[in-house]
Amino acid sequence: MKTWLKFIIAIALLILAAGVLVYIFVYNKPHKDYERASPDVELTAEELYMAFKSDREDAESLYNGKVLQLTGEVDDVEKVDDMVIAVFAFSEGFFGLEGVRCTMLENHHEKALSLQTGDSVTIKGFCAGFSDSDVIMEYCSFP
Amino acid sequence: MNNFRLLFLTGLLFLVFESVAQTFVTRNGTIRFFSEAPLENIEAVNRQVSSALDAETGEFVFRVVMRSFSFEKSLMQQHFNDNFVESHKYPNATFEGQIIEIGQIDFNSSGEYEVAVEGDLTIKDTTHFISEQGVLRINGDTVKGESQFVIRPEDYNITIPSRFARNIAQEIEVTVNVNLTRQ
Repeated sequence: MKTWLKFIIAIALLILAAGVLVYIFVYNKPHKDYERASPDVELTAEELYMAFKSDREDAESLYNGKVLQLTGEVDDVEKVDDMVIAVFAFSEGFFGLEGVRCTMLENHHEKALSLQTGDSVTIKGFCAGFSDSDVIMEYCSFP
Repeated sequence: MNNFRLLFLTGLLFLVFESVAQTFVTRNGTIRFFSEAPLENIEAVNRQVSSALDAETGEFVFRVVMRSFSFEKSLMQQHFNDNFVESHKYPNATFEGQIIEIGQIDFNSSGEYEVAVEGDLTIKDTTHFISEQGVLRINGDTVKGESQFVIRPEDYNITIPSRFARNIAQEIEVTVNVNLTRQ
């Protein structure tokens, strides 16, 4: 095979490999594994809720988009369709009990559903934001 | 959201709450959006939508935490939050409006009604008046509400860079589903 042809084939293979790598690691990169992620901040569920209630903008800049590890006593566990939500409640408001709502990852549903009111738990998840009544935590797990 | 809008929304929700017997609420409403473009279709879903309906006045509100939208692909979710809706600056979206001719709906017996909904949709602190059709299905103490409509990102200060022009549609189909329970 001529040298120039080998060179062109090598370049083509390199471009193809680069394309595959971009597809796998950039375009198709997996979602963050929040179950294994290290928490950015550790605090109590009550501290988190009170932070949003007392100074929302400050709390948004501190906690939105962060991985938080919360401790507290769970007040309720709701099952809504295929979602399981652990609730730390701190006040009674427009929607009933208001506080921090943690949507659990599927492999933590069983444990969440076995919790009793008043059980002390630690829950890690992604802080999505404040809905005016509740702090919304997604992708939550028991570390 | 500035303080005035927050105060207004809180006040509106308080007014809705005052008429306890005829208030229907949920914190797990669903909003989906779908973009159909030449290179790819993009769908996202948010299942943490708070919503309230006052069956006497017809006032209807919902509020959305933008970072709760979940996408199939991580990269899409990242672009959505970082570049398009800028969730770090504008973490919430709201709708404050009314179901027209609510008096014609009997909330005390099961039935299905086609309704008109109109009001202010706010995304990225940009508000537009929208008027759409929807369906209410009443069954005991629950009201299922559904509406499908189209929005244009550019109307809400969402700029799609030219490099994404073939990935993201100029018109986005939005589907709202709320399963409201009597307070």
